[in-house]
Amino acid sequence: MEQLMIELNPQTTQPVVQVKNLAKAYGSNVVLRDVSLSVAEGSVTAMIGPSGAGKSTVLRCMNLLEQPDSGEIVIDGHCINAGKKTSPKSLAALRRSAGMVFQHFNLFPHMTVLRNVSLPQERVLGCSREQANEKSMELLKRMGLADKADQYPSRCSGGQQQRIAIARALALGPRVMLFDEPTSALDPEVGVEVLEVMKELASTGMTMVVVTHEMAFAENVADELVVMADGGIIEKGHPGQILKDPQHERTRRFLRAVLER
Amino acid sequence: MNNLVDVAIEYGPTLLGGLKVSLTLTILSLALGLPIGLLFSFGVTAKNKAFRYISVFFVEVGRGAPALVLLQLMYYGLPNANLTLSSMASACLALTWTTAAYSAELIRGGMQSVPSGEIEGSHALGMSYRDCLRFVVIPQGLRIALPSLMGFAVLLFQATSLAYSVAVPELMSQAYSIGSSTFQYLPVFIVAGLLYAAISIPATWLSVGAERLLSRHL
Amino acid sequence: MEMLKAIAIGLPLTVLVTILALMIGTVVALPIVAGLRSRNRLIWLMSRGLVDLLRGIPPVVWLFMLYYGISIGAVRLSALQAGVLGLGVVAAAYLAEIFRGAISAVPKGQWEASSALGFHRATVWTRIVGPQTARAAIPAYTTFAIGLLKDSSIASTIGVSEIVFMSSQYARQSGSGILVFFVAAGIYILLSVPLGLLSRHLDVKMRKAVAR
Ligand SMILES: Nc1ncnc2c1ncn2[C@@H]1O[C@H](COP(=O)(O)OP(=O)(O)OP(=O)(O)O)[C@@H](O)[C@H]1O
Ligand SMILES: [Mg+2]
Repeated sequence: MEQLMIELNPQTTQPVVQVKNLAKAYGSNVVLRDVSLSVAEGSVTAMIGPSGAGKSTVLRCMNLLEQPDSGEIVIDGHCINAGKKTSPKSLAALRRSAGMVFQHFNLFPHMTVLRNVSLPQERVLGCSREQANEKSMELLKRMGLADKADQYPSRCSGGQQQRIAIARALALGPRVMLFDEPTSALDPEVGVEVLEVMKELASTGMTMVVVTHEMAFAENVADELVVMADGGIIEKGHPGQILKDPQHERTRRFLRAVLER
Repeated sequence: MNNLVDVAIEYGPTLLGGLKVSLTLTILSLALGLPIGLLFSFGVTAKNKAFRYISVFFVEVGRGAPALVLLQLMYYGLPNANLTLSSMASACLALTWTTAAYSAELIRGGMQSVPSGEIEGSHALGMSYRDCLRFVVIPQGLRIALPSLMGFAVLLFQATSLAYSVAVPELMSQAYSIGSSTFQYLPVFIVAGLLYAAISIPATWLSVGAERLLSRHL
Repeated sequence: MEMLKAIAIGLPLTVLVTILALMIGTVVALPIVAGLRSRNRLIWLMSRGLVDLLRGIPPVVWLFMLYYGISIGAVRLSALQAGVLGLGVVAAAYLAEIFRGAISAVPKGQWEASSALGFHRATVWTRIVGPQTARAAIPAYTTFAIGLLKDSSIASTIGVSEIVFMSSQYARQSGSGILVFFVAAGIYILLSVPLGLLSRHLDVKMRKAVAR
């Protein structure tokens, strides 16, 4: 079989996220085959690829929302091996180091915006209510949402809800933020608000992995571009380079389809 | 018509006394049955076998058997096991069973319809399984189940009318004894029926209103 | 064994009461649904009031009214007649609500598309809305039928000798109440199993016919 992986230059700093030989199948449907990936501290990795390529699955395996069949995941020194049983403690540690933002926000509709952001801090980090609220307000301000604190999520626009979700994840002080198509459920105009926030986050040195169809974001903000197809990584490297001169035929086909729309 | 008014005036106080007993029975059964129902809603899918079997038994029998059978079981049956309860206590026990069984299913349905994305959200945030239940699944599940639980409460209130068969002095049994001593059956039952309706109909509206309100908010 | 036989004597009447009441309920529900969908305020209000009243008063009260309270000349209704009639009209109210809900669950676009295609009203009902309504109503309808099977036990209170009536009688004679009533409960549970299976079977069949 053709070796699909292209080796990277050795990283200078210790990577925050390392995924080694990840594989996953749903029954007989092989969704991921031998995916390896490492994300350097402070870098932004964009992940693109056709629908069904397995992008979401990679991301969801990273914080064990999906149990991989084999492979290893290291995030900020917390190591999870698919073969071995994970203790609830190391699972919690891993999830604390990785913040996740979903396509459909997944806010808790029965809590106010402030409670949405504060509750995880209280329950996961053990903060007091005051501490948590203070931190939440600070983050909501940063997201431009301070006036929404006492509203319920359903009273907020999609873009606002997604920024609340980002604040909720950031509040736990993650080492890396995982975004799964954070703007796909939004009107383009509203999506911009979210992309702005993400850009700002990147500029502060947050390590990010972003599954996206926003080519402009991938080109301008990301340091590294990963192209996935059929359960594997077919190409990765500098975004500008790949977009200008894709090496793989499958990448070319995908980019043509996306860009010529 | 005159007849009806006469009966209402003459026997109103007795019938209202019966209504009070009906309401007491309803409230007691709800107060005891709902917490047990919440417990059973976890029990029917629990890993612990004993807990699961007990829950499934009580839920299936409680839903599958007519309330009348449970009432008679408690009142005429338990004395065989050397346990004789007052009519009120046995009626309360029977209707608590019914309540626990139905509410278990309604609550479980509510919890199952909590969107899986929210549960994933709480996992991704590193919240524990217990916290996810406590802060996300149970409050929302109960909330989703609330209108149907209210609808059930109305049916339960109506079911208390069957407790007359085990000699609980509730509205129906008062009406029957007035009827059989005066032979004014029709007017007495009409007045009793209107008393039931005066509680059930507004309560039903309330549950429909709750449904609209909650579906708007979510 | 003797016990089972004594209780099982009531089985035919339980089934009979259930089926007759369901038939009456289904037939009477149809005009009520029409009333509930009527644009005429007065008709709507009357239908609404009828449904609320029928559902707002416990079935046992209706049965007592019919059995003890109604006499046409010197003729009174028999226990079976009163039981079937009472349960039937109460069922009509519940079924009317079920049908109304199922009809309104058919997307508005279906009506619009039918009008756009120039279908007759009758065609719309028989070919478009009817089948989709039936599909939507079946789960609730069978759930209700199972409920009615259990509610048929209320007829025992006016002396219809169905399962619960026979059970009480046997319990009184033999003095073994606990077992008798558990057996009675078991019979009801067993009876509702085939209804549940039938519902699932119909549901699967309809799902094939009316894919969603
Ligand atoms: N829970 C599941 N059960 C079975 N198959 C699944 C499940 N989740 C995903 N899959 C399959 O895994 C494959 C990869 O899915 P994944 O969601 O990772 O793709 P994706 O690259 O994120 O696509 P998209 O751009 O549409 O989000 C798909 O073929 C999908 O059908
Ligand atoms: Mg995806």
